[in-house]
Amino acid sequence: MSHQAEYLSSVGRQFLDRRSFLSQSGTALGSIALAKMLGQDGLLAQERPIIDPAQPYAPRLGHQTAKAKNVVVIFCAGAVSQLETWDYKPELIKQDGKPLKGGPAVTFQGPAGNLARPQYEFKPRGQTGKMVSEMVPHLAELTDDIAFIHSLTSKSNTHGPAENFLSTGFVQDGFPSMGAWVSYALGSDNQDVPAFVSIPDPRGVPQASVNNWGPGFLPAEFQGTPFSAKNPIRHLDRPGGISPSTDQATRAFLQRTNERHLTQNPGDNKLAARIASYELAARMQLSVPEISDLSTEPDHILKSYGADDESNPNKAAFARNCILSRRLIEKGVRFVQLFNGAYASGGKLNWDGHSKLKEQYDIHAEIMDQPAAALIRDLKQRGLLEETLVVWCTEFGRMPFFQKGAKGRDHNPNGFTCWMTGAGVKPGVSHGVTDDLGQKAVENVLSLYDFNATILHLLGLDHERLTFYHNGLERRLTNVEGELIHQVLA
Amino acid sequence: MIYFPRPAVFALIFSLPAAVLAAPVDFVREVQPIFQKHCYECHGEKKQKSELRLDIRELALKGGDTHQPDIIPGKADKSPLIHLVTSDDKGERMPAEGKALSAGEIKTLTAWIDQGAVWPDGVDLVKLEDRRDHWAFKPVANPAPPKTKDQQWARTEMDRFILARLEQEGLQASLETDRWTWLRRATFDLTGLPPTSAELATFLRDKSANAYKRVVDRLLASPRYGERWAQHWLDVVRYADTHGFEVNTPRANAWPYRDYVIEAFNKDTPYAQFIREQLAGDTMGKDAATGFLVTSAVLLPGQIGKDDASKRLARQDELGEIVINTGEAFLGLSIGCARCHDHKFDPISAHDYYSMQAFFAGVKYGDRAIKSPEADSARLEAKKFKVQVAEIDHQLTEFVPLAKSGAKRPSVNAQINIERFAPVKAKRVRFTVKTTNNLEPCLDELEVFNTDGKNVALASVGTKPIASGSIVVANRHELEHINDGRYGNSRSWMSNEKGKGWVMLEFADEHKIERVVWGRDRQSKFTDRLPLEYVIEVADATGKWQVVADSTDRKKYDAKLKKPADFTLVGLNAKESKEAKALQQEKLMLEARIKKLSNDSLVYGGIFGEPEAMFLLRRGDPEQPKGEVAPAAITALGDLKLPKSATDKQRRLALADWVASPENVLTARVMVNRIWQGHFGIGLVETSNDFGRAGVRPTHPELLDWLAKKFVDSGWSIKQMHRMMVLSATYRQSAKIRPDVQAKDADVRLLWRFPSRRLEGESIRDTMLAVSGRLNLKMGGSGFDMFKSRGGLSGFPPVETFKGEGLRRMIYAHKIRMEREAVFGAFDCPDAGQTSSRRRQSTTPLQALNLFNSRFTIDESAAFAKRIEKEAGPESKSQIQRVYQIAYGRGPDAGELEDATLLVSSNGLPALCRAIYNSSEFLFIP
Repeated sequence: MSHQAEYLSSVGRQFLDRRSFLSQSGTALGSIALAKMLGQDGLLAQERPIIDPAQPYAPRLGHQTAKAKNVVVIFCAGAVSQLETWDYKPELIKQDGKPLKGGPAVTFQGPAGNLARPQYEFKPRGQTGKMVSEMVPHLAELTDDIAFIHSLTSKSNTHGPAENFLSTGFVQDGFPSMGAWVSYALGSDNQDVPAFVSIPDPRGVPQASVNNWGPGFLPAEFQGTPFSAKNPIRHLDRPGGISPSTDQATRAFLQRTNERHLTQNPGDNKLAARIASYELAARMQLSVPEISDLSTEPDHILKSYGADDESNPNKAAFARNCILSRRLIEKGVRFVQLFNGAYASGGKLNWDGHSKLKEQYDIHAEIMDQPAAALIRDLKQRGLLEETLVVWCTEFGRMPFFQKGAKGRDHNPNGFTCWMTGAGVKPGVSHGVTDDLGQKAVENVLSLYDFNATILHLLGLDHERLTFYHNGLERRLTNVEGELIHQVLA
Repeated sequence: MIYFPRPAVFALIFSLPAAVLAAPVDFVREVQPIFQKHCYECHGEKKQKSELRLDIRELALKGGDTHQPDIIPGKADKSPLIHLVTSDDKGERMPAEGKALSAGEIKTLTAWIDQGAVWPDGVDLVKLEDRRDHWAFKPVANPAPPKTKDQQWARTEMDRFILARLEQEGLQASLETDRWTWLRRATFDLTGLPPTSAELATFLRDKSANAYKRVVDRLLASPRYGERWAQHWLDVVRYADTHGFEVNTPRANAWPYRDYVIEAFNKDTPYAQFIREQLAGDTMGKDAATGFLVTSAVLLPGQIGKDDASKRLARQDELGEIVINTGEAFLGLSIGCARCHDHKFDPISAHDYYSMQAFFAGVKYGDRAIKSPEADSARLEAKKFKVQVAEIDHQLTEFVPLAKSGAKRPSVNAQINIERFAPVKAKRVRFTVKTTNNLEPCLDELEVFNTDGKNVALASVGTKPIASGSIVVANRHELEHINDGRYGNSRSWMSNEKGKGWVMLEFADEHKIERVVWGRDRQSKFTDRLPLEYVIEVADATGKWQVVADSTDRKKYDAKLKKPADFTLVGLNAKESKEAKALQQEKLMLEARIKKLSNDSLVYGGIFGEPEAMFLLRRGDPEQPKGEVAPAAITALGDLKLPKSATDKQRRLALADWVASPENVLTARVMVNRIWQGHFGIGLVETSNDFGRAGVRPTHPELLDWLAKKFVDSGWSIKQMHRMMVLSATYRQSAKIRPDVQAKDADVRLLWRFPSRRLEGESIRDTMLAVSGRLNLKMGGSGFDMFKSRGGLSGFPPVETFKGEGLRRMIYAHKIRMEREAVFGAFDCPDAGQTSSRRRQSTTPLQALNLFNSRFTIDESAAFAKRIEKEAGPESKSQIQRVYQIAYGRGPDAGELEDATLLVSSNGLPALCRAIYNSSEFLFIP
């Protein structure tokens, strides 16, 4: 390929060389298979993933040995208060009702009120004695397995951009989501299901909606496919009014037509990939309904997740999404993004507790706590937690004071808590510290870049090497930032 | 990390005897190894943390962005470098990771600096590249088309560049493709639609020498051309009809810009003019064109924090998007990268970034009235109608029963209530709520009309509101909303007491008033918090209060009655009722016309005003301004500079002239490359938005310059470029793959064949409709809906069945940012989040599911089948032949006919149509 090398920039060269190598085959997908073989033998330095257009979800090697094979990200939309959950602040109890000296007069939504104690009691938990609130009694029982990070910071105090930042590493719209990066890099162990599945909350889509699972400039096959236990993948089913036999006959005719066309245009792997994509779609039509069908789950499982709770349909629906998550992981799906909390609604449908925090968190916690805890226990009990990373995250935290004239807390991007458990995670640690009132991270201050870099690391990916050449830039999930949080690694 | 000198520490360290330090320090032998060992990992070639680089003299002595300079020759005790390597603060000491410098090393560095920090020439191990030394920053050359061995093949001079390069590589061009293929290719390419059977027949019959040219002229003259090529431009500028981010609300007046772009392409507006209009069209009678400036996603006021820092950051983000768009779309440069640091690859400093930003310092996001003779007269007309409506309202009050007249009045309703009473002098009006249907009372507007029918309650005429107490939710419930002239829950006042509260208006002057109008939500979305029992009192200038109306003579409230009763007819006799009805109808008609007239005359094209002061921001942080900057072009590319006193218009016009100048080395090159990319799938420069040093170099640099020159010489005519490319021998080649050449140039960068490619998502939909016979060719105007919601929070359920407007070309759809259309979006339609310089061509199972199973495909298959039955009659064979003819532009071969006959006989014609829609031949530009 000597004639190419001279017009390539140094950053572009590697990209194009690899791509040309892949597409130079005269016989459709022959060299792809070769590349895949070489890749699996480790003969190719896997700087950039090699994508077989006919099998985009084929498993691929990362940069290093992965501690975790798969990941479930429990994404709590609306900004969960660190003060009501994981970040115990006795000083805040003492100063309840007092003004914060030197504190900001105005925060995101308006004037600041007085300091307010955590709205739930805290108790020591497990072997570590970690103080966790009564808001989440079920998750609290798991603290010995969890690595908490209390000193995270975000770049935005607005939900949309902040959710973008958490999921894509950029506050702007339009960048690839972490799930897309991971499925692009690693593919999946299951060829019949998308490598990246996003499960929206039963109450609605999160604030940054599709941005959280979008492909950005990565190839479209790596975007998250949204479906839940309740709502199937769009266009998965045979359309109404078409009989199974007509559907089958039409599909078979189409395949013959496309194969004939490929024969007349030999060597065009785009055409071959199209044929393969219809085959993959057909396999998805069989496998996805089977995975989504929870009727085979025994009663004790449904009960442990709270999926049988008829008095609380939202909880039951979220519990079913949690069971679906486990089933997807069992089937080898690489990246499962599980949403808890929907769109902006004055805190009614998500964790955005501006005005009636306690009242609303009672409702949200009831929905989230038992099912999420059951998911982790279930994964553990089945041995899946040894190869699955579970991440619990939220876009930012909340202020130690109430908003003026309200009983809720305003946005706070300067110190908040996320946590992880499972494969590769050091159990029972708490890393990073906020000040005595829980307003700002003061020790081991970390950004979400660091958090995301660490997740990639556990999946065997080096966040500085997982790049995509786009628009003249080597783009990364972590932009030009990010340091591993070694303290939470096993 | 900010460094403050701490004299006490220095006193300890530097009280060493001067003699110890006296021996001259050799930089190469003693200092450079220390830097190498401890510093280069973070401050060398690979990384420049804090923008500090210690391996190149010029940069090392300049310093990083935390302190400039870090090395002060002769003054080690004042040099931050020494402070940092000796600090006992762990968070501050350098190197941040790894071992600290030894005492000896510190001593050497200190002595070296004290002795003047002598750094000889030519000892640096790396050389700083001259970032201006890059092909794209050099003047456009004027190369002659090269000579080629084969003198027959080339049809245009352009072809000789392609052929010469192929010959150089020992490759042969492909044979010319057949007429059928070329026509299909050119028609899809230029219009996004397939040729009709008639067009095909005409062309195949036309054996004249200029048959091909005639086709190209016809296609370029077709309005379908602008609809196709505007899409390429809209991709680059990330056009959408919503604001983006979490609320993603509709941007109702974005579409005039979309229509402007379509028209500009159709009219072949010279590209230089196209640039000028988009940057400063308001000065040239092209208001809609400045939509370019504000195409990006933007946070609305309610989504920005109330604290000043959040507001400053949001403003910087807004401005940043304008700079990014201008840089990428016109110049092919990622200027946006220099917002936080000097550009990593290109000669663009952070100072350049903020100087460029200063050109837009007077631009704010928002709707602006379109100034045109038509718009002006529309506005005048709307104004006239408004006066008429006010008169009718006044007349209509005659038909509203007087309050306290003894007659029973209709019950209150959430939308609107009129209180008419005998004229009375008023300085103040008080509305007191005694009970509500639930919660705290809420009113969206309180209007008070004088005997001339004028609303004297408005804040704009000096009236001030006071209330018993208010719940304030910013941008929703505020006391000021009670008389701001705007309706709806998001512009309302809410009491802070359950079931009660009062609000009072105090006029600037005493008025004679006769009517009070109030409502909970005139936009009819909310019916809660509605006052049921209330009293309205009026005080004159002397302060004497009297009750003018109350709820006692109203009928009992009925929660089911959501809309107001036809208020004009209650208690009227037949004659009055007839008159009132007529007035009411006239009013509705006038209001509809006003709405239309005012809608047509706005564009989301930016609001222009006094430029704000612009500052160089350290690390892009609005809280760390350094010096004020004046508007200036990127220094490596030009010497345009304006004084800080330049007005907004002067700034944008000057920038427009600089960008659109033939002297600008990037402008013409970037655009001819985009046109090339449109025809051949990939540009001569693959990174069409980045001509900088990190971009990919052109495959045919001479050709690129030759085209750029031709382009400028043609008067920046885009259509002339199309003509040349589409008629070229290069374009007429067969797309057939020859394995031997494929092995050498799989990406067809050398154009040894025509690179066939899949249709874009919009073209697939348009083509399906064209083939089914249902395509609606209506042009322009507000977009049709592909989702049941035009914007907002709670998701976008897709429309599944389309008719009428919904069958227009997809470029006329109301484009939701980030939310890809449910069927065709999966075919790599950009999401309008970030710029899309070139669409990927991905192949995914979701595409297959969408195209095979969507309601749209099923509906259009049925419509296609219906069309065929009508055109081809009942006989299966001629039906099948017709299907192939329309969809592929050719008849079926024997095998296809047999296969299709089988399918149709047991599954019907729609099954065949569904399969054809999904077939590769249907979906590819041949």
